[in-house]
Amino acid sequence: MTAHTHITPVRRTHWLAVTVLAALALAVLVVPILARLDQQLVDLRLASLPPSLAHPFGTDEVGRDVLLRAVYGLRVSLLVGLAAALVSVTIGTLAGLVAGALGGTADRVLMRVVDGFNSVPHLLFGIFIVALFSPSATAVVVSVALTHWMTAARIVRSEVLSLRARPFVDAAISGGSSRLRIVRRHLLPHLTPHIALAAVLMVPHAIWHETALSFLGLGLPPHLASLGNMINDGARSLLAGNWWASLFPGLFILLPTLAISSLAQYWRDRANPRRRSELQL
Amino acid sequence: MTTSAGSRLRVDGLTVRFHLPGATVHAVTDAHFTVGQGECLALVGESGCGKSVMAHALLGLLPGNATITGSARLETGDASPVELIGAPERLLARTVRGRRVGLVPQSPAAHLTPVRTARAQLTEALRELGNPAPADDLAARAGLRPRDLDLYPHQLSGGMAQRVVNAIALAGDPWLVIADEPTSGLDRPLVDATMAELRRLTGEGRAVLLITHDLRAAEQVADHVAVMYAGRIVSLDLAGEFFAGPRHPYAAGLLDALPSRRFTAIPGRPPELTDLPAGCAFRPRCARADAACDDVPSMPAGAGRVACHHPLESHAAR
Amino acid sequence: MTRALARMAAWRLAFAAPLVLVVTLGMFALAKASPFDPVRQYLGDRALTTSPEIARQIRESWGLDRPVAEQYLTWLGNLLRGEFGESRSMHRPVAEVIGERLGWTLLAAGCAVVLMLVASLVVGAVAAWRQGSWIDRLITGTAYANEAAPVFWTALIAIWVFAVKLRWLPAGGLTDAATGAVEPGDVLRHMILPVAVLAFSQSSWLLLFVRESLITTLREDFVVGARARGLRERTVIVRHALRSALLPFITLLGARVPELVTGAILVETVFSWPGVASASVQAALAADFPLLAALTLLATLAVVAGNLLADSAYAIADPRVRVLGVS
Repeated sequence: MTAHTHITPVRRTHWLAVTVLAALALAVLVVPILARLDQQLVDLRLASLPPSLAHPFGTDEVGRDVLLRAVYGLRVSLLVGLAAALVSVTIGTLAGLVAGALGGTADRVLMRVVDGFNSVPHLLFGIFIVALFSPSATAVVVSVALTHWMTAARIVRSEVLSLRARPFVDAAISGGSSRLRIVRRHLLPHLTPHIALAAVLMVPHAIWHETALSFLGLGLPPHLASLGNMINDGARSLLAGNWWASLFPGLFILLPTLAISSLAQYWRDRANPRRRSELQL
Repeated sequence: MTTSAGSRLRVDGLTVRFHLPGATVHAVTDAHFTVGQGECLALVGESGCGKSVMAHALLGLLPGNATITGSARLETGDASPVELIGAPERLLARTVRGRRVGLVPQSPAAHLTPVRTARAQLTEALRELGNPAPADDLAARAGLRPRDLDLYPHQLSGGMAQRVVNAIALAGDPWLVIADEPTSGLDRPLVDATMAELRRLTGEGRAVLLITHDLRAAEQVADHVAVMYAGRIVSLDLAGEFFAGPRHPYAAGLLDALPSRRFTAIPGRPPELTDLPAGCAFRPRCARADAACDDVPSMPAGAGRVACHHPLESHAAR
Repeated sequence: MTRALARMAAWRLAFAAPLVLVVTLGMFALAKASPFDPVRQYLGDRALTTSPEIARQIRESWGLDRPVAEQYLTWLGNLLRGEFGESRSMHRPVAEVIGERLGWTLLAAGCAVVLMLVASLVVGAVAAWRQGSWIDRLITGTAYANEAAPVFWTALIAIWVFAVKLRWLPAGGLTDAATGAVEPGDVLRHMILPVAVLAFSQSSWLLLFVRESLITTLREDFVVGARARGLRERTVIVRHALRSALLPFITLLGARVPELVTGAILVETVFSWPGVASASVQAALAADFPLLAALTLLATLAVVAGNLLADSAYAIADPRVRVLGVS
């Protein structure tokens, strides 16, 4: 009987998410053309001004505009996040392909390594790597990539395993195609959407890690306008009552993260309406 | 149980609709029937005709997207009469469910909480319903050994799970027991045992509303038989007359489908409750249908009722 | 039952041993690939004035001239014997540093876990029970935002509100006393903000999980069955729905140890809480490999223990698993 059929209305939050992302993307692309950050000099007369029309996000403790710096910071964080996501998904895809395509011992060993990486808390592992290779953008990218490739590896491996069971792969093997050719011609096209989704979902994680490391003083060089560095700077003037210097850069982390996860949710619900989650804003 | 002979459940014009996006489910339409003291009314019909919805409607257990109209008055001598339809949740929870109306649910094992033993759930029901009897006694009456109670629902066999839910349904000494498909998934000997249990209940003076698609089971215990088709009660007879010669073509078709009779199924399938045909819902499957069946046949008052423009001859007349 | 449980624990531990080995190997490999020279760091400013001969002698006494495999085995052997070496940044034995700070971390993290459990159970159950109402929207909305917000940022907002604006609580540290005397009441006051922020930051996933799980469970037949029996609403929710809904969450809780460690690192650092988690940041800033390695290993063991605990708890709580034993 249909007595217990419940249908939750899909709310239109994904449009809000798209708008937020578009606005932030536009800001990141256009603002640097209109205003150069390096022209913004330290001006102590403008130090720690609360938000106003001239400075919507206020100014920091040495008189720089928080909004402008936050936009630049978002750009830096996005670039680092994208790079880290790309590297980690590449590592994960390769590892997953090798594990799934070779199977046997190679698969078991790789999965053990995945377990090993997963059992070290990511931030601590990231800290470990950055500490040994001195803080820099490269170290941050490497540390984020090394701590996040496992998800992609799992996804790719299980996809490869399920694809291997399908007839067209069998046909290709009996047709005499080489392993590499099968991977390139048959597996990769099927895997691309999964890998792309994994990469998109990785970006907020990567940004989070970059900002956390920078906040701890273990990330990007302190003079660089990055969101983590800005919050770190803001923390110092917080006790003097300057809340805006840390609040607004944080919002620039929160908003895109929220938007991307809400879009991912929307995507998953569309792809699989029967599992439609109640967890909607 | 102290009840007078006049005790009864009287259902009048009960109608249930479910509202889904873009569709309305006509689950139950204008149902009338009465169950009296010591009587068993069997509500029969194919699955998906709205029988179980009726049971849940009487207990106020339908989800929020359901609208229920009509009346279902419970008049028992030991307590003030109560109108079940539209009664506040608190009233139903505190005075009706378990205490005046017990439910023997469909698929018993699924209706027991998986992480707790049968004993925990029976004891809890006894405690909350204020029944001082030990769980073992109640279980013994339902045909269970004390150690059976220490099992978890997934460890119970189908027959044992059935007995456990029977025992729990009786924990609050209800006047009416609604048995919702109590025989599905059971083999013949267990079906017979379950029917014997229901007969015992009517013998104790309880009323039983048996919801089933199993006519052979119904025959063993029913005093009256109501046949439901596409949400409507289309015939209501004394059991003897019904099994001797039903007057509604659908009821006759159901009986003919039995292996012990002609073993021929009714052609076609029942309509979707979201998309009922105009006029008599049975018309597309009915050999006797004609232009008169464009109108929904009404259900006359009184016993031996049938909602059909072209009923069969009654057994007595044949 | 206890035998099945013991067998499962043994099984888990058998998997954990190679796992920890992989982690130590990874750490050692990274340390070897690092451009940092421990001897130079040890010497500090003296490195320029120290003769190469002395540097070579230090190198030899530390075993740095041996083959890499031998160095690894020596290091592993030391770890197994509980010899973690000397913290280069704090100039004290690593074991002493950890021993002194571990208690503070366990205190804060333990309180946070308890607070998080209680709060998210209650709040998540309320949201599920009143599904679709404004209070449900408010709860889930806050939880989503909280999930997306970096914890160090949340911590700063909390400091601004409760320490700077309202002046209710101290902004950080363990005590007010300059003398270093530890008064329980003083510690308690300093603990409230970090514990609350850590609990809050960890609670959103749990709360959302409890809510969704309970919403699904409330529609299950056995909840309808319990309601049909005439049980009180509270009994139906707590003893039938919640009890069943919480089963999978026990496993999830154990699997959340990595997130808890991450949260502790950031929260302890923001609030200058003298625990092991903030020590890892200090060790990293000073490139203090022995301390950092020991702390990383400690965290890994915590993760493994969390998984083991989760499995055992699940086996005890779910009769279906209990019967199957190892599954």
